[in-house]
Amino acid sequence: MIYTEIVLPVLWDGLFAAVAAVGFALISNPPKRAVFACALLAAAGHAMRYCLINYTSIGIVVSTGLAAFSIGLMSIFFARRIHCPAEVFCFPSLLPMIPGMFAYRSILALMNIAREGDQQHVQDAITSFFDNGIKTVSIMLALVIGLTLSICREKSFMLTRVKKEPRLPAAQ
Amino acid sequence: MVAPPPQIKSVIFDSSDMILQYGVALMGAGAHTSRVVRNMSRIAEAFGYRVAITIFQHTIIMCATDKEDSSVRQTLVTKINHQPINFKTISLLSSLSWEVGDDHLTVHEFKHRYKEIVSKQRLSRWVVLLFVAFANASFCRLFQGDFQSMLIVFFATLGGFVLRQELNARKVNPIISVTSCAFVSSLIGATGVYFGWGGTPSVALAASVLFLIPGVPLINSVIDILEGYTLMGISRLMGSFIIIICITLGMALTLYLLEIHSI
Repeated sequence: MIYTEIVLPVLWDGLFAAVAAVGFALISNPPKRAVFACALLAAAGHAMRYCLINYTSIGIVVSTGLAAFSIGLMSIFFARRIHCPAEVFCFPSLLPMIPGMFAYRSILALMNIAREGDQQHVQDAITSFFDNGIKTVSIMLALVIGLTLSICREKSFMLTRVKKEPRLPAAQ
Repeated sequence: MVAPPPQIKSVIFDSSDMILQYGVALMGAGAHTSRVVRNMSRIAEAFGYRVAITIFQHTIIMCATDKEDSSVRQTLVTKINHQPINFKTISLLSSLSWEVGDDHLTVHEFKHRYKEIVSKQRLSRWVVLLFVAFANASFCRLFQGDFQSMLIVFFATLGGFVLRQELNARKVNPIISVTSCAFVSSLIGATGVYFGWGGTPSVALAASVLFLIPGVPLINSVIDILEGYTLMGISRLMGSFIIIICITLGMALTLYLLEIHSI
């Protein structure tokens, strides 16, 4: 009972988020060794967001921020392992959370405001514009703030360095 | 005043142009601005001089100065040639910036490795096409679409992305290319609504254009703004915003043609 109603949807969500992240990542030509990490991070992050949205009342924005924060934390671990900049698999794993649908729905609402004559329709469109527009902006900010809070302090730029100890210069 | 050792002088004139090219490649591949600035400064540091860098949407301005004698300097400006986003290039070029100092690469070796990295082949376009179609179909599932909707989105993405690849290869203006791809994708995506296929046809229509959303530039722009590269961030944001408007235009055309009133 608890398995089919709670655990299974979360697992499916993670699985499809992983497929989505890998597919969208391939548009940006990632290094092959980063693809697996990207799938794993996307699955964990998106499943976590699904749980937070559906089983708590903190809302989509905070959930997205927390998911992005944990993706950032996990990515530090992988970045150390495979010597890639963290963004190479952070960004693709965030892609399924990008508020694309909210974004174009707010623009669509703007077009409707310009087109409609009927007062009621205009009011609906205005509500839809602010609803979708503010969600777009705040989800985007939550994504990036969550991510930078976790990887900024860690100096993500150190992670591409293959050797930590500089070799001594040849005899001068 | 002591004259600078001649080899430092020549290093500035030899390598600063190479560092600028490196910055252009990194910027063109879609790295965020602070990474580009950091990596270029790191390489210059390894060669023994300082750089000051200004980056705009279409140009990089770099001034290389000798550490001891500020009269030994060279200022270079060049155009950024924007390429499709390429994470492999970003990753390898970032590693290269460390190798220059750690392995004491000469300017010639640096140039050689750089050329090697930027001439690497991209992934086969057909593989990308297939994976993007699967990705967008799964994306539809994340919005509670059912199996028929996923199938519709799969074909919508296939159609739209083939068109995008073809138009990009012919260097069509991105505004026209994105609008027409969004139109084709949403037209195929709207078949569910039009013929009443599946239980969630409007999800299929709404998700069919999502592969066009410029996710990475959006994230980069917010990172740039938060890190204080406000001008660059706003430029990128504007670029993404225009793409999203184009997506909506293509979609609105479909909605208008098929007389669908709400999605």
